[in-house]
Amino acid sequence: MNVRVRIPTPLKKLAGEQDILLANGNTVGEVIQWLTETYPGLKERLQDEQGEVRRFINIYVNDEDIRFIKNLETPIQEGDQISIIPAIAGGASIRRRVTLTFPPERIQEPVIYHIGHRFKIVTNIRSANVTENVGWVTLEIDGEEEEYLKALHYLKEIGVKVEPVEKDVIV
Amino acid sequence: MSYTKGLKCRECKREYSIKPVHVCEFCFGPLEVVYDYDEIRKSLNRSRIEGRPKTMWRYRELLPLDSDPSVGRNVGFTPLIKAERLAEVLGVKELYLKNDAVNHPTLSFKDRVVSVAVSKAKEFGFEVVSCASTGNLANSVAALAAEGGLESFIFVPHDLEQGKILGTLIYGTNLIGITGSYDEVNRLCSEIAENYRWAFVNINIRPFYAEGSKTFGFEIAEQMGWKIPQHVVVPMAGGSLITKIWKGFKELEQIGLLDTVHCKIYGAQASGSNPIVAAFKDGVDWIKPQKPKTIAKSLAIGNPADGFYALKTIRESGGSAEDVSDEEIVEAMKLLARTEGIFTETAGGVTVGVTKKLIDKGIIPRDESILISITGNGLKTQEAVQDKIGKPRIIEAKFSEFEKIMTVSQKRFRDTVLQASV
Repeated sequence: MNVRVRIPTPLKKLAGEQDILLANGNTVGEVIQWLTETYPGLKERLQDEQGEVRRFINIYVNDEDIRFIKNLETPIQEGDQISIIPAIAGGASIRRRVTLTFPPERIQEPVIYHIGHRFKIVTNIRSANVTENVGWVTLEIDGEEEEYLKALHYLKEIGVKVEPVEKDVIV
Repeated sequence: MSYTKGLKCRECKREYSIKPVHVCEFCFGPLEVVYDYDEIRKSLNRSRIEGRPKTMWRYRELLPLDSDPSVGRNVGFTPLIKAERLAEVLGVKELYLKNDAVNHPTLSFKDRVVSVAVSKAKEFGFEVVSCASTGNLANSVAALAAEGGLESFIFVPHDLEQGKILGTLIYGTNLIGITGSYDEVNRLCSEIAENYRWAFVNINIRPFYAEGSKTFGFEIAEQMGWKIPQHVVVPMAGGSLITKIWKGFKELEQIGLLDTVHCKIYGAQASGSNPIVAAFKDGVDWIKPQKPKTIAKSLAIGNPADGFYALKTIRESGGSAEDVSDEEIVEAMKLLARTEGIFTETAGGVTVGVTKKLIDKGIIPRDESILISITGNGLKTQEAVQDKIGKPRIIEAKFSEFEKIMTVSQKRFRDTVLQASV
């Protein structure tokens, strides 16, 4: 099973400078094993001497903390996203953040309004720069994974470039 | 004069020098201040402490400042009270209250942590102090920043009690209300802390800040005559205070000022915000975050930063954890006021209510010494009891009007008094 894994910025260097990896495995445990075999530098950062996931590393499948599913036994479905998030004592929530870059012909359109109405998501503009020829917006998006993915699909279809913004939020 | 050796990760034990950081860059665990206990043991003894001014700084060797505190020099040494009337109602033999509802200057235990944090921030050379707060911390940071001549930015949930809003604004701070829960405020502050060079007392200054809570424990020990009660009940929000009271007891033991510590620590939360109690009862050591809903807003943290260590403290000491409903909180606030003349905020209602529950359940024995932590002042959370304590009766200034409202029993009381005086 192929799965996308989000790597937190402090560990990016150890994962070949990648924010998002395509990994393999049928459970979270298998994915972690794949990760630490493929990028050995990650091993001691993610796991303690006993091989347990470190206490202040939180792992989410989509938006759910694996400790509240089946921990490392949590099964992975095609298309799931695993997020590794450092949590100073206690946990952090995932905020999906993306930067949208608009092609010149879409700059005049209320694209963000549209995605907020067509899909069950809430958008929050965090920063933006729109001129006559170029436009980008950094958005925070809340909502169910399914609706979020639909919105991304729609954006790509109309020619908007979507890039994830990696920003660790340490609580 | 400093006895600090550095910072150390509580998880992987990696060491760091003293600087404004709070997370281990290797394993993301929280950092904690390390002291040279052998040196402290050599220079500190009971009589030396007893000869010093009655403030929390009498234990300064066990606090992480390099020089004298620059703010909050009068914080601490709040009353430890033997609560005989409350003991009678609860049916226990020996009951004490540690009353930080009258802590100086902002009437909560937070003045202890903030005086350390702001003094440390000044040592580091910061010009702006900041915090995420459920209210008491906001009051304290605003006041002590003002005292230290620092600018402050304070972030709170927008729907806090009026007393806490007002008790922050008066000090001339920048107060920002966030439309969200404390946990959301905290998350935002972590982001701000990454982008601004500010001293966030409970983020990048947290290892130093948290140390201030130990003085609550040191004072209990000293005021009890250098011993500690067998059972200590502590409120839990982020879970820091309970771990630091325990650490304080253990430090006194380590430097030879206390005999072996035999004390069970109990964690108290409101039922509407009980992630630590729930984890304790489930027998797990990880916290499931909640969306708090309780009148005890100062304890309404759904994702407690030190939850794991709070659980560890409770279990290590052999204590327990319990929660009480909003109704029980109000009843307990009234009970404390009506038996001991102490008006505590909702958090104090939580500790008194939980103590009562633990005694009723037989978890805290009736014939052993018990201490309840009172950490905040009732005047700050008036909304919680406003409609539940009756109203004054308004009458004309006539004796006959007064006689009308007197009940038969009250009149009989008057007659007895009159007879006695004749």
